[in-house]
Amino acid sequence: MTTTPSWLYYLFGVLMLVVAAYSVVLLVSSAATRRPLGWDVDISHLFMGSSMAGMFVTKWAFGAGTVWELIFSVLLVWFLVRSIQSMHRWGLHLSHFLIHAVMSFTMLLMYRFPVSAPMGAMAMSARGSRLDPGLSFVLAFVLFASAIFTLASPNKGASRHGTHAPAYAMEGTGSGAATSHSAGPSTSVMSIETLLATPRLEDASHVVMCVAMGFLLILML
Amino acid sequence: MSITGTRVSGRLVASACPAGTGSPNALPRPPRDLQRTFQLALATVWLLDAVLQLQPFMFRPGSNGFSGMLHGLASGNPSWIAHSIAWNASIVDHHPVSTNAPFALIQFLIGFGIVSTRSLKPALALSIVWSLAVWWFGEGLGRVFSGGATPFGGGPGAVLFYALLAILLWPRTGSDQPFVAARAVGVKVAKTIWVAVWGLLALLSVVGSGRSPRALHDLVAGMNSAEPGWLTRIDVSSESFLLHHGTSAAIVLAVICLMVAAGVFLPPRFARTTLVLAIVVFAVIWVAVQNFGGILAGGATDSNAGPLVIVLALTYWPLTDDRGTASDVASDPALVVRGNRPS
Repeated sequence: MTTTPSWLYYLFGVLMLVVAAYSVVLLVSSAATRRPLGWDVDISHLFMGSSMAGMFVTKWAFGAGTVWELIFSVLLVWFLVRSIQSMHRWGLHLSHFLIHAVMSFTMLLMYRFPVSAPMGAMAMSARGSRLDPGLSFVLAFVLFASAIFTLASPNKGASRHGTHAPAYAMEGTGSGAATSHSAGPSTSVMSIETLLATPRLEDASHVVMCVAMGFLLILML
Repeated sequence: MSITGTRVSGRLVASACPAGTGSPNALPRPPRDLQRTFQLALATVWLLDAVLQLQPFMFRPGSNGFSGMLHGLASGNPSWIAHSIAWNASIVDHHPVSTNAPFALIQFLIGFGIVSTRSLKPALALSIVWSLAVWWFGEGLGRVFSGGATPFGGGPGAVLFYALLAILLWPRTGSDQPFVAARAVGVKVAKTIWVAVWGLLALLSVVGSGRSPRALHDLVAGMNSAEPGWLTRIDVSSESFLLHHGTSAAIVLAVICLMVAAGVFLPPRFARTTLVLAIVVFAVIWVAVQNFGGILAGGATDSNAGPLVIVLALTYWPLTDDRGTASDVASDPALVVRGNRPS
């Protein structure tokens, strides 16, 4: 018997779809303004939001589990490589790519080991085994810590493009314009970007993702 | 990672500087305020608790649900306290969703409230009030009145440490010297609190069922159902050890607590040794006796006292070297952290 109110799962499901939709907006905005900052994070949030919405609300699930596993495996490798590159370039530090690697790893685990959430996980591959609760707890705690420290960070937007963003931007655009809004795309795209692509919203989407993922991990205990 | 000190706005804060980040292209890393870091650690624990409050069993009425757990805490307390706990449990039993959802929301508000400097004080104040309410209605006053409040089990109540940390991490401008907890309440008051806390823990270790081998054995045995295999194996060893050496373990824990209590008056080098001892002992207890608060078994409301005692110990970590004294701090609040003292 499930006793958790269904509205709670719907709430998280809707939040996941909102984050996924927001990621699409950021991707379009990045493409239109030809500023590549954070596109990989946007893609990962798009996939994570879409798949987790299906974990919270079964009827919203789509896609085969193996496809999702493949996607999150690729994302995991991608973010690990980016982390190593970042450390190679800037020295030993906690790159923001690491937390996205952790999130990709968590998503992978949630497909490998079905969540016991009453309403979710139906789209996942059911293998009958259980993820070690210790690992679930550690991952959940890391995600919650990431949520809290991201919100408190003075470097707003760092969850999407890291603390070395200006330097990366200079390299990416060749104009050093990542922190300015004079790249020359159409006015409408610029206005949308000004409205939505704010560092605080970017961090908020990361925080929502972390809390939702942590909740699913707690449900796996 | 090295910890260095930086003078900011007339006070000194420590900064964590990852090795090798001296690139001229990197954004300048703001200095790390240790009090702020501990506040955020506390916020993380509150966020964890908020999400734990959303587990399915929390919304379940009856003896297998949250209300049943609350009801079970009434026994052993004086009748008027037991009645108040039973009254609260009965409300939760009749309205599991409309009570539990606000409970979770309050914890979310505390966790996220601590993050913003504007809402920090109200959030910490709310956490103190909420902690005391939970200690009464959700922990049965930590079983203090029933004689079962041993530190092995989280006595005198894990949630009291949330309230204590909220007080010791209350935002206040000034130096983190000689330790972070002193910034909020002053050195003398902080040391008095420290001695009172560890004196109480020492006392609770050897009174009531805290020194009973059978009770300590049952404490662990009652926790290990539904735990993962590796933790169950640890539990088996803990149960056996406590059954045969429970009284000795309680006495040793009391002695350790007294040493830790006295440590705050010792020179920094020795004080750090006692703090490390406290951290190691309570980390072992958290794993081998408290079973991470039962979180891994999927039926916990919090992580129990272990991690909070560790955070508490870290807030008393001396930030001066052996040459630094409290009087140094009073006269020069801008002492540099470890190895960076002004010459």
